Amino acid sequence: MSAIGLNHYLMLAALLFVCGLLTILTKRNAIGILMGVELILNAANVNLVAFNRFSHGVSASGGVLLSGQIFAIFVIVLAAAEAAVALAIFLNFYNNFSTIDVERAQNLKG
Amino acid sequence: MRHRRIARALKKKQMPRTDYLLIIATVLPLASFVLLVFAGKRMGKPFAGYVATGAIGLSLVFSVLALIGWVQGGEYKPAGRTAAISYGMGRTPINLPMHWVPSNYTADAQTKFLNVGVYVDSLTIVMFAMITLVAFLVHFFSLAYMADDKRFPRFFTYLGLFCFSMLGLVLGGTILQLFIFWELVGLCSYLLIGFWYEKKTATNAAIKAFVTNRVGDFGFLIGLGILFYHFGNVSLPDIWSALDISKMSGRGIELANGVWFGPTLLTVMGVGLFFGAVGKSAQFPLHVWLPDAMEGPTPVSALIHAATMVAAGVYLVGRIFPILTPDARLFIAIIGLTTLTMAALIAVAQSDIKKVLAFSTLSQLGYMILAMGVGSWIGGLFHLITHAFFKALLFLGSGSVIHAAHHEQEMHQYGGLWRKIPVTAITFAIAVLAIAGTPGLSAYYSKDMILAHAGGYAGLGAEHSKWYLLFFWVPSGIALVTAFYMMRCWMLTFWGKPRNQHLYDHARETPVLYGPLIVLSIFSIIGGYVGVRTMIEYAMGEGSKIVLDVRGVKEDSPEAKKYDLYATAWPGEPGGSHLPTEARAAVAEGENEPNLTHSQMEFKHYEHIVHTVVVWAFAVGIALGFVIYFKGYAVANALMKIAPLRWIHTWLYRRMYFDELYAAVFVAITMGLARLSALFDRVVVDGLVNFAAHFVKKTSDLAGLNDKYIVDGAVNGLASATQSLGSAVRAPQSGRIRMYVTVLLAAVVIGIAAMIVVVISK
Repeated sequence: MSAIGLNHYLMLAALLFVCGLLTILTKRNAIGILMGVELILNAANVNLVAFNRFSHGVSASGGVLLSGQIFAIFVIVLAAAEAAVALAIFLNFYNNFSTIDVERAQNLKG
Repeated sequence: MRHRRIARALKKKQMPRTDYLLIIATVLPLASFVLLVFAGKRMGKPFAGYVATGAIGLSLVFSVLALIGWVQGGEYKPAGRTAAISYGMGRTPINLPMHWVPSNYTADAQTKFLNVGVYVDSLTIVMFAMITLVAFLVHFFSLAYMADDKRFPRFFTYLGLFCFSMLGLVLGGTILQLFIFWELVGLCSYLLIGFWYEKKTATNAAIKAFVTNRVGDFGFLIGLGILFYHFGNVSLPDIWSALDISKMSGRGIELANGVWFGPTLLTVMGVGLFFGAVGKSAQFPLHVWLPDAMEGPTPVSALIHAATMVAAGVYLVGRIFPILTPDARLFIAIIGLTTLTMAALIAVAQSDIKKVLAFSTLSQLGYMILAMGVGSWIGGLFHLITHAFFKALLFLGSGSVIHAAHHEQEMHQYGGLWRKIPVTAITFAIAVLAIAGTPGLSAYYSKDMILAHAGGYAGLGAEHSKWYLLFFWVPSGIALVTAFYMMRCWMLTFWGKPRNQHLYDHARETPVLYGPLIVLSIFSIIGGYVGVRTMIEYAMGEGSKIVLDVRGVKEDSPEAKKYDLYATAWPGEPGGSHLPTEARAAVAEGENEPNLTHSQMEFKHYEHIVHTVVVWAFAVGIALGFVIYFKGYAVANALMKIAPLRWIHTWLYRRMYFDELYAAVFVAITMGLARLSALFDRVVVDGLVNFAAHFVKKTSDLAGLNDKYIVDGAVNGLASATQSLGSAVRAPQSGRIRMYVTVLLAAVVIGIAAMIVVVISK
């Protein structure tokens, strides 16, 4: 049993990403797709934090650098904002079509 | 007392310049016309009539002021002159030419322009006073006469235009202006003859008058064209000074630029200009329109077709008199003689009261034209004025009769009317006596003078040919006929028993109708000696003075004798102040018996005969008329039983068949030509037009095909290509998110795979 290293995290992130991707591809429910998007974003977050942990995160003055973590926090904030906007769109969509099946959203089809 | 003070005030007060007064008098009826054209209908009856009558009344006032100012005299300074010219009776006339259009050629080096302008001499003043007075009375008369007419305002509108045109004609200082106003009065005549256009006869008469006048005006234009082409100047004084006939030699007249104006050309020009007068004054052979013109309202007949417009022809001949050659004058005299004879004879047989008066007008105009032809300048124009008064009186009197008789014009229906309309009967009788030549009434003096001058002319001519004696004896005989047919007219209308009881019972007259008659009858009586003749005599001397002025010759220089314009005209009275120059000079030199020329001896000789002849003609004519028509138609009908008399009567009643002759000749030729042109129109012109239309249609068909297949094909092809491209491109835009993601994923995978391949291959 070796110690948990960077590769484990990367594997976890890849797994999460694939889960999210599959969710997006398979789901017809808009909220499901939004969840898939969240999974993908979190996979990216895991990567960011992991890379920050396992790189030589020390500045020239000897302080610890936390840029990966901060980046992840930004992503979470943005994801929250995005979710708010997306949910608002879905609500409107539901009001108009009485469903949130994305297959139905093809009025703008060329 | 009061009127003496007014007279003194008038004498002291200097009148405004005469030409200004006359221009105002001319423009006033125009103002009334313009106002009534736009607002006449809204003003309605009778206000529109008041406006027109007021305007012409003011015109009359200004004309009278001008007359006073003219007698007083005054001074004016034309542009470009240093010294003022004194105008007035017996002095220099007012001549104000204005440059209008530049003309390329003038024989006169001083003017390179076609002029328009104002020319005022004593004749102008007299004409103004006469025209405005008669016009005012006719306007006044029309207020009552036209009161029932539904186009009342329009009538007064036309009258305003007519008065303006007529006054403008008299005021004009160039022959060109004379022509312009000449056409304007012709237009008014046309409009007023056809005033009751619901009547077919009225419109026909209007067209006849207009077309017949065109024939005369064509001659006028030819004369004007000759004058303008060869002389290049149309101002009256300039023409007189250059073309005065007393300066003519065998080769003609030499113009200022050395070109000779030949005698034949001068004659043709004179006859051409005279033809204008033949049309307007209804002389033979263009006389046919005037009797038909009686279709117009009676006041119009009085004003236009008796007193003023038809006399314009005489006025025109009077104005061109100094340039008429002896041949042209002979022609004029023959035309006048023919007209006066023919018209007087026809008048004897007419039964329509207005037709009698119309032919009487023709005959009297014939006298005036004859007067011009035989050189009786004063006599012709004097008769013009006196005739205007008594003929206007006759027509207005007939208007009063017709009004009383509910528009019945046949004298068969009248009779005994003097009991019902006494004022009309008396004034009409005065006019009848005046035209017949009763001693003491106006026409006696004027007709007397014409006959005396004609006698002199005939006496001189008789040395060449005895035919010249006709120029005296025929008019003298016709004077008798004149007295007869006028008496007949009066007797049939007013004397005897009523022939139509119903009409007689309803006849009545009103002061508005007979007021003008009384005024006119006064003028018919005194017209012979209120100074009309004196004024016209002065106009002769004034014409010569303006010529001296134009030429720059001093009045008392010996050269001045050459410029006596009327040296070839008969004098006013033998031994009077208007003898030809030599006789005048002889008087001035203190000789008791002036050196009378041969022509004046002739004149003196005939003057004695004339007085006798005129008095006898009058007495016999009146007596015959009275005797024959004393018992209505009884005697006349008895006479008609004699076959030759009946035939003559029918011939005269049908107006010598002139209308039928013209219908058969001129109208038929014109209609034939018209039909021929119509055929040409239909076959050739229409054919060409139709062919052109067909050709254009075929060409457009071809162009249409090109449009449809080539131009439209290109446009449609482009459109369908764009559409198919669009539908091809729109397929990926399915709106299916999962598919988008799949494509995205596939693209990423392929991209990564490609990157790996690239990295490995490096």
